[in-house]
Amino acid sequence: MPASAATDPGEVSDLDLVKRSQAGDTRAFDVLVTRYRGRIYAMTYHLIQNETEAWDLAQEAFIKAWRALPTFKHDAGFYTWLYRIAHNVSYDWLRKKKIQGDGEFDDERTEHRIAAGAEATPKGDLAPDTALRNAELGQRIQEAISRLSPEHRQVIVLREVEGLAYEEIAALIPCSLGTVMSRLFYARKKLQEQLHDVYETSL
Amino acid sequence: MKHPSEEHDLIRWIDGEMNETERTAFEEHLKHDAALATEAQKMRALSDSLRAHMPAEMHVPHADYFNTQIGVRITQMALDEARSKQSAGLGGVLQWLRQPWFALAGAAALGVLGFFLLTPETGDASESMILSSYTPNTNVQARTYHDHNADATVLMLDGLDAVPAERKISGINIQRSELEPELASTTMYNAQGAAVFMISRDALGNPMISAR
Repeated sequence: MPASAATDPGEVSDLDLVKRSQAGDTRAFDVLVTRYRGRIYAMTYHLIQNETEAWDLAQEAFIKAWRALPTFKHDAGFYTWLYRIAHNVSYDWLRKKKIQGDGEFDDERTEHRIAAGAEATPKGDLAPDTALRNAELGQRIQEAISRLSPEHRQVIVLREVEGLAYEEIAALIPCSLGTVMSRLFYARKKLQEQLHDVYETSL
Repeated sequence: MKHPSEEHDLIRWIDGEMNETERTAFEEHLKHDAALATEAQKMRALSDSLRAHMPAEMHVPHADYFNTQIGVRITQMALDEARSKQSAGLGGVLQWLRQPWFALAGAAALGVLGFFLLTPETGDASESMILSSYTPNTNVQARTYHDHNADATVLMLDGLDAVPAERKISGINIQRSELEPELASTTMYNAQGAAVFMISRDALGNPMISAR
């Protein structure tokens, strides 16, 4: 499952903050929101492919988490628990919108700055043409993902962004391991088809 | 179309989900199947590109406002819950948000929003608790405390430039607020029940306060 954000020595632990939040301390919960908003927003954005909706859904996930805090038993990490809530909120939204694999390009999609310290390439200074190619490829990838069905988009995000194991994806969705593998295979095939020219020329 | 088991093997190899024996056998198979080897290479390259261009953490637009809005909604939920309990049991004796909580120093271009919740359990009906605050000017920090002698909630604005003595500062006594989820806005009402202003977001998601 997704790991918690690394905490600096001396930083208040998730456990302490969650216990204080469960006692009604909204300032403690605000610290948790600040700690995880970048990761939750990234997940909702990759699933929804729309900045405004992703922002709202990330917020909705935190609200639901606050409401559900009394039921949080500390048997899983807070982020893992929060992640499940955010995933369910986003996926429910996707299903309601009935976004299909041949959906239209989303004009509202905008480029994002990546949070400081976040893992992402390219690293270091790149030549302008290389940076441009990277930006173009990133744009093409986002477009291709936005055209995937909710089910295919879901497994791609869970696997490629969150790095979940097949068993974890199957438990979260939920579905069988075979379904996870089949969806991953066809999701990647569809992405390959849409990015065919990129792969023929540069990969 | 490939047999499902072949598709699954390919996926498991790309994702590193095979054990050593399976991986060795599959890579041996790839040596004798050029088409499959090419597809495996392309699919692995695609996977690498996806990971590179889909960061696990992103900058949240208007991050401070993101937190503040969550605070507003939590406060509203607490108010609604307490109000329903109150109306069911105590006949609505509580008066919400008694303290003046919003101050504007217009010329200093500063706005501070605070969200108060009266806590019936304290037994001190005049004490409010600040749940959240928001200062558009990030150089200014808002902090509050309850002054028992004055029977008032005091709002401190650290970092605010000195306000000339002749400048007028207005305060508004907010008695209640209503959240409008569909509009993602909160409307504030004064003692006469008139809507005073509304907090919402503009099209770009920036915080916006509208006079009513």
